[in-house]
Amino acid sequence: MKADTNFSEGSGIPAEARKTLLQIETDRATYKRKLIISFIILAIAMIMVLIALKLDFRFMKTQLPFIFAGMGYTLFVSFMAISLASFLAIVGALGRLSKNPVFNSIASSYVSLIRGTPLLVQVYMWYLALPQIGKALEGYGFTGIQAFFTLPALTAGILALGVCYGAYMTETVRAGIQSIDPGQTEAANALGMTRSQTMKRIIFPQALRVIIPPVSNEFIAMIKDSSLVSLMGVWELSYRAIKMGRRHFQSLEMLITVALIYWMMCILLQYFQEKLETHMARGDRSIR
Amino acid sequence: MIKNDSPMVKITDIHKVFFPDMHVLRGIDLEVKKGETVAILGASGSGKSTLLRCINFLEEPTAGTVEVDGITIEAGENDKQRNGRIRDIRKRTGMCFQAFNLFPHMTVLENIIEGPVTVLHQKKEAAIAYAEQLLQWIGLSEKRGEHPSRLSGGQQQRVAIARSLAMKPKVMLFDEPTSALDPELVGEVVEVMERLAKEGMTIIAVTHELHFARDVADRILIMDNGNWVEQGPPEKIFNNPEQERTRQFLAHIL
Repeated sequence: MKADTNFSEGSGIPAEARKTLLQIETDRATYKRKLIISFIILAIAMIMVLIALKLDFRFMKTQLPFIFAGMGYTLFVSFMAISLASFLAIVGALGRLSKNPVFNSIASSYVSLIRGTPLLVQVYMWYLALPQIGKALEGYGFTGIQAFFTLPALTAGILALGVCYGAYMTETVRAGIQSIDPGQTEAANALGMTRSQTMKRIIFPQALRVIIPPVSNEFIAMIKDSSLVSLMGVWELSYRAIKMGRRHFQSLEMLITVALIYWMMCILLQYFQEKLETHMARGDRSIR
Repeated sequence: MIKNDSPMVKITDIHKVFFPDMHVLRGIDLEVKKGETVAILGASGSGKSTLLRCINFLEEPTAGTVEVDGITIEAGENDKQRNGRIRDIRKRTGMCFQAFNLFPHMTVLENIIEGPVTVLHQKKEAAIAYAEQLLQWIGLSEKRGEHPSRLSGGQQQRVAIARSLAMKPKVMLFDEPTSALDPELVGEVVEVMERLAKEGMTIIAVTHELHFARDVADRILIMDNGNWVEQGPPEKIFNNPEQERTRQFLAHIL
């Protein structure tokens, strides 16, 4: 144990205090050990349930490469949608905080409309309903515009996800900006900074630290919601799994396989989030 | 002759009304000469901080005129150059806050060079060189790479002073700079302020720190309920105040 090496005899700490300290340290180590054991038992139980279900593991293994081939689409859709959402979130948050009535009302309506409607409906709206809008516009003399309003499945999916998550993240970013002490803005103003300098140099870097946990949360949700593009026949992870499961009447195997793949991706993402949080917390007293 | 006598800061008939009817400043006049050190005293809620914040427009006066180093801004005027003129005043005035308000995501050195680099567009090397002089002057050279959260309150306030001084201001405004400090840390901040006054800086300080008010300030102003009660040199205010209200107030802080 490390605790007793830290306090040599004669350091002035009474024996009783040293004993208590050691006890606390031992308790902590015991708890940690028990926690790890619990996790292992839980994992074994899950594996046993899978075995008891008489899953066809060989089938799962043979189909794995086919499902994995959809990873590229999943990652591409997620990455593009996250980029779009981040951009919209920053613009949206500035709009929500803007004193310009036009900008502010557009941003507020965007958030309200998108958050108030199901993502599923939005996906179909981009894919199936948009061409109809194009057609209507052609009726008003915009010849040739329908082609631009008829989106490929991938584009429609990225737009749907990006616009939807952008609305949620707008509120996250806005809250992050508002959480920064007004004294920071005052100090920046007192130095003679303009509004945009204050935002860029002082407020936003601090807000970023606050919003990393909730934004990571949304990134993780986005990875999973990218499966919605399967509705439009994009061959990403879940589309492939569902298709194969149906074809061979082994949906359970395929769904469990694809669920595990998503889970692993999210665990990986969470790991990076923790790294990033520690990195961003430099200069914070609470981190040693 | 005229130039020497013209005040560094001149405030004329300032009113501040918070919506709908909180009349915080009721027609304040104030002239501060170049190199003068002025201490503003008064009960809490009397309007001292609001007045100080009106000088660099962190608070917008409701009526009246503010003039700093020859730049004049009227309350309520509304032309296109106004924001630029406000920033010009801010570049010429340093301000220290009760809560320090250092930028927590930057190191001490980065805090100090932020204004010169971002606002004055100085070369980074030049800004760093001057920042190092300032750090030496406040006695915190060894803390240049630390983040503010690792410093004591007194050290943070000294860095905040250095951050203001990096802009080479003509006037320094102190808004209760020692009120948030543990008693044993007050001295180091007051000592820096005292040196600043001795080097000829124009200072307007809202403070109840007695040593500063009595021994450093050239003039003391007592404020109550948005108006001046009395003003004069420290000896007179402390030893022989004219107004009953001043006596009452001093009895509280002495």
